[in-house]
Amino acid sequence: MKESLLEILCCPLDKHDLELEDAEYEDDEVVGGTLVCTECGERYPIEDGIPNLLPPDMREESPA
Amino acid sequence: MNRRRAVRDTYDRIAAHFASTREYAWPEVEAFLADRDVERAVGLDLGCGNCRHAQLLAESAGIERTIGLDVSRGLLETGRERARERGFDVALVQGDAAALPLADDSIDVAVYVATLHHLPTRAARLASLDELARVLVPDGRALVSAWSTAHDRFDETEGFDTTVEWTLPGGETVDRFYHIYDIAEFERDLAASDLELLEWELSSGNCYATVAGAEPGEA
Repeated sequence: MKESLLEILCCPLDKHDLELEDAEYEDDEVVGGTLVCTECGERYPIEDGIPNLLPPDMREESPA
Repeated sequence: MNRRRAVRDTYDRIAAHFASTREYAWPEVEAFLADRDVERAVGLDLGCGNCRHAQLLAESAGIERTIGLDVSRGLLETGRERARERGFDVALVQGDAAALPLADDSIDVAVYVATLHHLPTRAARLASLDELARVLVPDGRALVSAWSTAHDRFDETEGFDTTVEWTLPGGETVDRFYHIYDIAEFERDLAASDLELLEWELSSGNCYATVAGAEPGEA
């Protein structure tokens, strides 16, 4: 994903802004890292360049 | 496993074969986009699958940026492949149509076709229509479609839940959840949502509605 996509993306739960952490870049693409909600702190992974913004209960891993 | 995750898992499983059978854009979508007169717009293909309609958005005059959102990672991969092969630009996002990870008033033109009917409860379907209203700018437009009881394959006259088999090469079948709308129900759900219903029609067994975003303060 392009970093400028952050202007449009938000937390699916509370619709607050997301902050990019631990970004990995390839050219001008963000290929890895984590999007963190500035309000609730929920963390969303960027997996091979595609942000996974599914609500936590719909994500792959089951809660510990 | 919850039922929305089940829909995601189904499409992850059939993604490659499903996408290979979804080559061409729908004429109804082409007509909808041909009527748009926009500048520097942001387009959204909600339930983008293999991005055949995201491609149309990306190639439309006045659309500067296109987002393709789908619940299935497997389908998003087929969309990425299509974008690479055909040289169009789409920002891919994995997300839930009933809980969109997109900012208020961020989308000018949206296509939400053949996706609403996969949401397993009326509450989720209405939530997704409200979410579409929230992310559309007030004068933005979206095309919403769903399978209807008017389709040749159904005898029912009232909306109902069903599963429709997908047959993989080799003969294995995978069930997919569908809510088949009756026409009055489709109109009623759109009217009950925050979207403004502008017009609707029936075409090839599908209900189509052209809608506008919510006015400020409504959503």
